Amino acid sequence: MAKSGDKKRGPIATALGRVPRWVYLTAALVLAVLFPLLHSAGLMDMLWIRVAIRSLTFVLLALGLNVVMGETGLLNLGYVAFFAIGAYTTALLSSPSLGFHWSFWPLLVLSMVFAMLAGLLVGLPTLRLRGDYLAIVTLAFGEIVRTVFLNVTSITNGAAGIPAIYTPNIFGWVVTEPPQFYYLILFFVVVVVIALTNVKNSRVGRAWNALREDEIAAIHSGIDATRAKILAMVISAGVAGLAGCLFAYYQSFINPTYFLFMQSVIVVCMVVLGGMGSIPGAVIGAIVLDSLPDVIRATFSDWLPRVFGPTFMASWPAWLQSFFTDFEKYRLLLFGIVVVLVVIFRPEGLLPDTLWRSETHEEDPREQEYTRQTLFDIDEGNQDLEA
Amino acid sequence: MAPVLELVGLTKAFGGLTAVNDMSLTVEPGEIVSIIGPNGSGKTTLFNLVSGIYEPDSGDILLEGESIAGLRPDQIQAKGISRTFQMLRLFSNMTVLENVLVGMHSRTKTRLLGAMFRLPWVTREEKEAVARAQEILAFFPGRFSGPRQSQPAASLSYANRRRLEIARALAGEPRILLLDEPVAGMNPAESLEVMQQIRELRDRGQTILMIEHDMKVVLGASDRLIAMDHGVKIAEGDPQDVANDPRVVEAYLGQRDAAAS
Repeated sequence: MAKSGDKKRGPIATALGRVPRWVYLTAALVLAVLFPLLHSAGLMDMLWIRVAIRSLTFVLLALGLNVVMGETGLLNLGYVAFFAIGAYTTALLSSPSLGFHWSFWPLLVLSMVFAMLAGLLVGLPTLRLRGDYLAIVTLAFGEIVRTVFLNVTSITNGAAGIPAIYTPNIFGWVVTEPPQFYYLILFFVVVVVIALTNVKNSRVGRAWNALREDEIAAIHSGIDATRAKILAMVISAGVAGLAGCLFAYYQSFINPTYFLFMQSVIVVCMVVLGGMGSIPGAVIGAIVLDSLPDVIRATFSDWLPRVFGPTFMASWPAWLQSFFTDFEKYRLLLFGIVVVLVVIFRPEGLLPDTLWRSETHEEDPREQEYTRQTLFDIDEGNQDLEA
Repeated sequence: MAPVLELVGLTKAFGGLTAVNDMSLTVEPGEIVSIIGPNGSGKTTLFNLVSGIYEPDSGDILLEGESIAGLRPDQIQAKGISRTFQMLRLFSNMTVLENVLVGMHSRTKTRLLGAMFRLPWVTREEKEAVARAQEILAFFPGRFSGPRQSQPAASLSYANRRRLEIARALAGEPRILLLDEPVAGMNPAESLEVMQQIRELRDRGQTILMIEHDMKVVLGASDRLIAMDHGVKIAEGDPQDVANDPRVVEAYLGQRDAAAS
């Protein structure tokens, strides 16, 4: 926070904080748009465009989960279910498996609508529950959805999955190559960021935040808690459905193993890493956490050997060499370490919501108030005695 | 003119304990009515009944003649009853201005799609809401000026947090404002200031029902005083008379002390 947080910041952070926000946003957008040109110019392997597409898919998921978890304060541990519903909708209606070939836009909308209906279905009976119960119910829902897709073999082809999903044709633009997919997903990321930012800074977003901060005070301020929570759940599911649709098109093959419980956990980690309730945080958290394993692997198997010669790791024990060169295997270990470090050293996340920041570092005002109230009660008791 | 608030034989029991027992009272327009009573006498339960946290076991709550018993708290707030809390309940990580804006939830209309596409009328409503919120905050001169409005509520001093809670309640444009110990924890000077502001609100036509322990504030601000003990009304009337009523003194101090004094 620019005003009250200044005393804790170093001079660099303060200087960075003075740069207007639109400068950062424009710079990020320009870099994102120019990124695939590195490949066209022969400076970068196609692999990194694939990594970026995967990261942007996670960005969408993190943005969606942030609505329900970060802004409204409801822990959803089955978020990947909505992603799966979006992906399966697209896969089934745009592949030879059932003989449908819907076009891109209707399918995109339908994927979102189905995911949102699922959000409504889970939300209606469960959002009256307290947070912990909600987490359990959503966790179970995530597993149920995956199990259904795994077992309704007549439609979904079970574990073998749905192959040969058609490439999207958007007003004549046939999206086949990774750079094209990159731009397609980037477009939707920008649209979702703008839409969610607008909502966040409106009456609707404030109601969500109020529910997160103090539900009793929120309902006494005229907020219909159940309705607002269901709305958050449905919006967040819709974003996951969108991500699922794009994912299915890009992969051109999906099966239930893409939608394991672990994926939900990873998205939760991304939101926590970025900073709960922070939209730029969700973007950064998803990119960092998703691309870090690839960056580490490439550092040791590609970039460092180029600098120090191909044999610089020769004296290292074999397990250590393979640890770094096959780092993809250890990504869950990395996620665990990153989350623990964040919780210890930067509990508000990498790029915290300005509002969120104060809660984690300053003393809890409710506690101070309790102390004061207790002192007051004692004082009052004394006065009563004197009277 | 119909009373703003009328409670008719309101009863609420928790298991074997009848926290509020056959309680009736009326609050006339533009009046400040205070409720006093020892701890556990049912004052806050009464507020929780009126604001909709609890549903009454029997009896009725009428807001300008219309029954509101059994409605949800958010519906009751929308009908025109705003409240503050004995233990502060602010949205600590939201800014001062946002806290007041949340209080306006039932007086504004923006829905999801309008907000998402930031339609022109949404921008206009937002601007008007911010202007109105600043107007409400200006009721506490110098407390919430300029940059303070964009600071989180958690950064405020204790007394200012209490003031902000009142501002948030006022943002709902209530027909009756319920204040639950508005000066609890404040020093005498702050209490006096808040008391004067409560009277100023009344002079602007705001009807107020308040629970308060601070007798200076109670006697200084109230038009009428109601004393409760063990869930029943034990005295009602002119503040000075009620404060000196032997039953009230007995309820606070016990029988033997009352006899001794």
